[in-house]
Amino acid sequence: MQVLNTSAMTRSPLAGVDRQFSAGGVEFCPDDSTDVYRGKLARLVLDELPGFAALLTTSGILLARNRAADPALIGKSLWETAWWRMGPSVQFELREAIERAARGEAVKHHLNLAPPEMPVTDFTLSPVRDAEDRVVFLLLCGIAENQADERASALLSAIVDSSDDAIISKDLNGQIMTWNKSAECLFGYTSEEAIGRSITILIPPDHLEEETRILERLRRGERIDHFETIRVRKDGTTLNISLTISPVRDANGRIIGASKIARDITDRVQREHALEQANADLQQFAYSASHDLQEPLRMVAAYSELLKRKFGGKLGPEADEYIGYMVSGASRMESLLRDLRTYTQVLSGNAEPPGEIEPARVLRTVLANLEVAIADSGAIIEHADLPRVCMYEFQLQQVLQNLIGNAIRYRGAETPRIHISAERRNGRCLFAVQDNGIGIDPQYKEQIFGIFKRLHSAGEFPGTGMGLAICQRIIERGGGRIWVESQPGRGSTFYFTVAGAKSERQSNTGLDPVDRRQSPGRGAGARSA
Amino acid sequence: LIEDNLPDAVLVREALEEHGVEGELLVIGDGAAAIAYVETAKDRLPDLVILDLNLPKRSGREVLRAVRQAAAFRDTAVVVLSSSGAHQDRADALAAGARQYIRKPLLLEEFLDLGAIFRQMLESA
Repeated sequence: MQVLNTSAMTRSPLAGVDRQFSAGGVEFCPDDSTDVYRGKLARLVLDELPGFAALLTTSGILLARNRAADPALIGKSLWETAWWRMGPSVQFELREAIERAARGEAVKHHLNLAPPEMPVTDFTLSPVRDAEDRVVFLLLCGIAENQADERASALLSAIVDSSDDAIISKDLNGQIMTWNKSAECLFGYTSEEAIGRSITILIPPDHLEEETRILERLRRGERIDHFETIRVRKDGTTLNISLTISPVRDANGRIIGASKIARDITDRVQREHALEQANADLQQFAYSASHDLQEPLRMVAAYSELLKRKFGGKLGPEADEYIGYMVSGASRMESLLRDLRTYTQVLSGNAEPPGEIEPARVLRTVLANLEVAIADSGAIIEHADLPRVCMYEFQLQQVLQNLIGNAIRYRGAETPRIHISAERRNGRCLFAVQDNGIGIDPQYKEQIFGIFKRLHSAGEFPGTGMGLAICQRIIERGGGRIWVESQPGRGSTFYFTVAGAKSERQSNTGLDPVDRRQSPGRGAGARSA
Repeated sequence: LIEDNLPDAVLVREALEEHGVEGELLVIGDGAAAIAYVETAKDRLPDLVILDLNLPKRSGREVLRAVRQAAAFRDTAVVVLSSSGAHQDRADALAAGARQYIRKPLLLEEFLDLGAIFRQMLESA
């Protein structure tokens, strides 16, 4: 138990100091008596404490406080302070501690609350006695910094050790400094075996130059994100990993090493390889099948046709009917195979990147190709100004030809009117091919893009069911989207997006609207709107 | 005609008949037999050789080379009739001395129309 000494001393310890000085707002005079001096020194020490320090009555009323405490609290109860309102458990713990100190016990207490909810987590309460009453000295302080560091690093190492990813740190010479549990599992070395050795124990000989490049980048302070590579285990087997490497700096900001987070992606990489292989095989299969089937089909087609030519009308009406089925079956099969080949070819990459093209020019070719269908149906085809786009010309041609061909084929009772427009949107080009045809029931608006998907019998409308699948494949390969909006009986609008040309220049053929009129023949025409 | 596929051989015959070509059609069904014939033939030499590329034993390319090297066939026109649409095949055949390269048409009508081409080549021979 401490007792405040009130006895006077005669000699000032500062007698030799001839100037008064101040510290922390407390003025010291050369002629201060020891008591005054001690009192002032105590004030100074208290004020310099980073935490809250106060004298309380045994019932919790603040008598004095240091600078860290709110002066407005003097004369008030401790319960009116902010941290008091932290909750019933804090209230209880403090009240109990004050009572114990009032009974003469020195209390040290740790509040089990973490910052920032509770900035102060430790307090000590000491019983002191003044002339009249017992007073409690309360010191509340934040967690000591080193303690905070310890806690933080304990937390961090728990996180590191429970991570599924291997977390390794190394110095700038590539020497391993830390090694977590997952690193042990992933690479097969225990931390004792790994720490102190070079990181190159993990790098296959043919990938060693990677480490040089990584270290170079780290020295420049760069971070390496999701670098996918190969590493080798202790037992010599390799694994695919994704590496994220960040420079580690010391307190002065100097780069002293690197942390590596390695994720095992062997399964993913194997799955991707398998999928790529399967895709390639399937594509090769589809292509060969459609090619190899072509030859025998050519025989069936030619000979059923020859049979019809040479013996038609000689074998009886039933035979003629059957031959007719053979001919149309073979011809349909030919169309299917041709479209299937086109479809599989869309996937096989082109060596040359697509160039910038003039859609209006492509459209002219399309309309020329569709000349007969346009003339037979009397279709009126118009187009607005079409901005330049960046794609393979023959692919845009395929898309437009399929869409316009469909618009003509699936026409209603009225004269088909087809309008093609396009506008730039965020560097891409949104095309719209609008018709007044029979439309599409909304429930089929996804289905129509499927391979061999048809909504009508071949008798109603001819077709292989591949046209829109090819369109979708072309557009999606180019990173775009194709969709339809339609009202049955009122017409459909097919939309698709393609990469826009880098230059903002609009399609301008330099021709006047009359010249731009697309008129492929026999009166039926397309004109620029 | 050097062609291993009998239905195609018949179609060629039909095409020739369709266009009124009269004469003898000798059909050889593999590459080795064709080369042997080309190297030994002395009389009754053909006016036109119609050559498939994809042949058993020896390829149509080898046959073409043999034809071009045989003195007896020095002035004989060769037309390649192949199901291959590859540009390289066409270019190679023309470079090796074929007069024409024709891809076997899918449609009967077009196949039969080949008779006109054969006829024209025979008349100019």
